[in-house]
Amino acid sequence: MEEQVETLGKSFVDHYYHLFDADRSSLSSLYQPTSMLTFEGQKFVGAADITAKLRGLPFDQCKHAVSTIDSQAAAATGGIVVFVSGSLHLLGEEHPLRFSQVMFHLLPTIHGTFFVQNDIFRLNYG
Amino acid sequence: MDPDTVAKAFVEHYYSTFDTNRAGLVGLYQDGSMLTFEGQKIQGAQNIAAKLTSLPFEQCKHSITTVDCQPSGPAGGMVVFVSGNLQLAGEQHPLKFSQVMFHLMPTQGSFFVFNDIFRLNYA
Repeated sequence: MEEQVETLGKSFVDHYYHLFDADRSSLSSLYQPTSMLTFEGQKFVGAADITAKLRGLPFDQCKHAVSTIDSQAAAATGGIVVFVSGSLHLLGEEHPLRFSQVMFHLLPTIHGTFFVQNDIFRLNYG
Repeated sequence: MDPDTVAKAFVEHYYSTFDTNRAGLVGLYQDGSMLTFEGQKIQGAQNIAAKLTSLPFEQCKHSITTVDCQPSGPAGGMVVFVSGNLQLAGEQHPLKFSQVMFHLMPTQGSFFVFNDIFRLNYA
């Protein structure tokens, strides 16, 4: 069961950052109207506002490189808590930014796929 | 009380307990709690407290830089994300850390930590 949680967490994270780096607008499929994002302290609710924020970030191209992924089953809610740390490379910038991101997923009953219910993103300053 | 205030108060209580009475942390976890500490998985309040009390330093001081919290759904829990510095006695440079704590609210009106993930932030 534990390996399953780890595998699910990793494949979701890979999918999330792949979408982020390739086509940021498509991230709307991974959030729902009840989803929440806290981005560097700024709060957003709902897929539309969250996607607008991420699309509006001041860079065209980026590449996330994941360093650590930790996943745990959050039994009380039926979801998975995932904590990711890594580097974010922006096109034209010499040094990558370091980030930490908490993603808390719930498992929808209909399709068996995940969406992000809670999302907290922070850059790690040196 | 608004969630941000509640989360901040819990986080301060957690690190104050950690820094002054590490064994007392057992009271902030339950049997179903899980800690992933730098990739190592530990389950249950007793095992978690044993891990934390056996960390290789006598004295430490956590200073919090950021606290972000969100309600996590109908069960009444909160997701809290903390980043900060950890100063060990005798060490010149503090360590930077990130910690995810996911609380559930027991009926007595206080919190315990159900999911806990701790990572040091390496430069």
